[in-house]
Amino acid sequence: MTAFDVELIDIVKDFDSGGGRVRAVDHVNVQIADGEFFALLGPSGCGKTTTLRLIAGFEQPSSGRVLIRGRAMEGIPAYHRPVNTVFQDYALFPHLTVEQNIMFGLQMEGVDKKEAQKRALESLEQVRLPGVGRRRPHQLSGGQQQRVALARALVKQPAVLLLDEPLGALDLKLRKNMQVELKALQRDVGITFIYVTHDQEEAITMADRIAVMNQGEMLQVGGPKEIYERPGTHFVADFIGETNFVDGTLVERDADGFGRVKLMNDAVIRAQLSHTLAASDGPVLVAIRPERITISPANAEPAERGTTSLPAKLVDSQYIGTDTRYILRIGETIELVARLQNLDDRPKAIFAVGQAVTVRWSDASTTVLDH
Amino acid sequence: MAQALINEGALGRNRRVKRLGRLCLWLNPLVAYFFLWAPILVLVLFSFNQSKSVASFTGFTLKWYSNILNNVVGAESAFSTELMLNAFRNSLFVGAIATAIATVLGTMIALSMARGSFPGKRLLDGLLFLPVVIPEITQAISLAIFFKVAFDWIHLLSGERVFPGFHTIIMAHVTFNISYVAIVVRARLADMDPTLEEAASDLGANPWQTFWRVTFPLILPGVIAGALLAFTLSLDDFVITFFTSGVGTTTLPVFVYGLLKLTVTPEVNAISTIMMLLSTFLIGISLALQGRGASRS
Repeated sequence: MTAFDVELIDIVKDFDSGGGRVRAVDHVNVQIADGEFFALLGPSGCGKTTTLRLIAGFEQPSSGRVLIRGRAMEGIPAYHRPVNTVFQDYALFPHLTVEQNIMFGLQMEGVDKKEAQKRALESLEQVRLPGVGRRRPHQLSGGQQQRVALARALVKQPAVLLLDEPLGALDLKLRKNMQVELKALQRDVGITFIYVTHDQEEAITMADRIAVMNQGEMLQVGGPKEIYERPGTHFVADFIGETNFVDGTLVERDADGFGRVKLMNDAVIRAQLSHTLAASDGPVLVAIRPERITISPANAEPAERGTTSLPAKLVDSQYIGTDTRYILRIGETIELVARLQNLDDRPKAIFAVGQAVTVRWSDASTTVLDH
Repeated sequence: MAQALINEGALGRNRRVKRLGRLCLWLNPLVAYFFLWAPILVLVLFSFNQSKSVASFTGFTLKWYSNILNNVVGAESAFSTELMLNAFRNSLFVGAIATAIATVLGTMIALSMARGSFPGKRLLDGLLFLPVVIPEITQAISLAIFFKVAFDWIHLLSGERVFPGFHTIIMAHVTFNISYVAIVVRARLADMDPTLEEAASDLGANPWQTFWRVTFPLILPGVIAGALLAFTLSLDDFVITFFTSGVGTTTLPVFVYGLLKLTVTPEVNAISTIMMLLSTFLIGISLALQGRGASRS
């Protein structure tokens, strides 16, 4: 017995499309532990939903294997798999009441009607939607339908719950509330969640681990912090949050995981290399998060060790509520965005547009990526 | 400068055109409905006419309606209620059986077209509309010839002589009804969210359970609508029935045609009015069911 609830072993999924073949999932390998909240994150068409459907059994892999609780799923139809799905548009049965919807899966297992009814009621309580059992799905709001879909899947007590952009149709406020609730629910029931989303913020706030997908490939798998702070590729760094990408040339690889990068203005900075960096020299990208950049007056005291300090000019500033975005220029060609939080004890505008300043960042908060 | 801002002449012209357009929009349906309904209106009107002649309306009467139910045997008017009721029974018999068979087959075709994938699917899709568009007389003659050839072969191979009768009428009705049922049910299936079937499967329902507990209840309004349409078409059909009927299989439309061959009696008007009301009623339910299906999903 393995400790993994779901294992995908070298999964490939091709679809025929008008004579050509489209590869929706490209050699994906991943292991998802029991009780984990695992997010599949990527833009639309990246293969995340197809991956979910392969686990659910709605699609069969072109090659590779799906294991659920150590058991090979080859030839096992969706209705015999120990997984349940919360569909994007809920897929509640319109001809059945809410209660009948939730009882459906239990009755398929042969649970008798009385018992099924009791468990359906409990399940509605669990998703905090009591008293709507006799209503039809179309009489409920989107958020309520979402809860019913969740109750219908959870009542089956699956090994793994698959969620396909379950909050996608809800408005922002409701979505935020549901994120917190879903996470709490997952902790309560202890069921493995595999959660498909294109919303990076949603993935970061909810998931234990995130797999970032693009064009069928799983580019990086890791905890939210690792994905955000140590992106392995240009795509991951770009897709998750806001990032400055600075062109440069790798001139030296140090043994401590850092390297020296010459920027366009001939300044040489020390930056941390990505684990997956292939290049040993030549063109690279340096990724720096805007909130890691600080701005000091032009004549500031020299930087401490492990910090990069460069002269810059403030080109523009944008007030965006919680933060202020500063557009900075280093030399002629390098443009950077810095974000400073608008704390109430800080004067509104410390720096004036056009002013010469010094920008600083810790070397450890940079990532050198392949170009 | 004022002239450049507002061109008074053009503005007035636009207003006039707009008014004319509005008048035409109002007249258009009136003319169309007149063409559609005037003949039928005449028929209904004269089914209440006291005079036997359609030359003039001489007064209101329900005489012809009561004649339908009471045998009239006279020099100027002869009407056998017994024969009419017999024809009506035949119509119901043919309609019920043809509808039942066509509904099952049509629904099955619709399902395979919507969910299945097989070679020639697109061709079959086009062929499905054929009975709807080809002239009825063509279909009637082709069926008549087909039965003739088939019966000759049966005679040749088994020595049995087979004659046209209810079985030929029913088979003929099934052939054209299948298309109508399949088209209506397919529209309903196209409306249905296919993820509902995936959801059922996800919850542990095998394909058989998925069909009976999810797909079928959801397409049922379409199936009933298709069946009602088929039944109505079957009740109303004259041409195909006429060409495929045998001895003693007179249906109501064929019976009415028989009455016309003698003379246009006002009873014909009365029966026609009743048939029209019945058909309208059935089609009305069918349409209501189709509409409900669409708006619910």
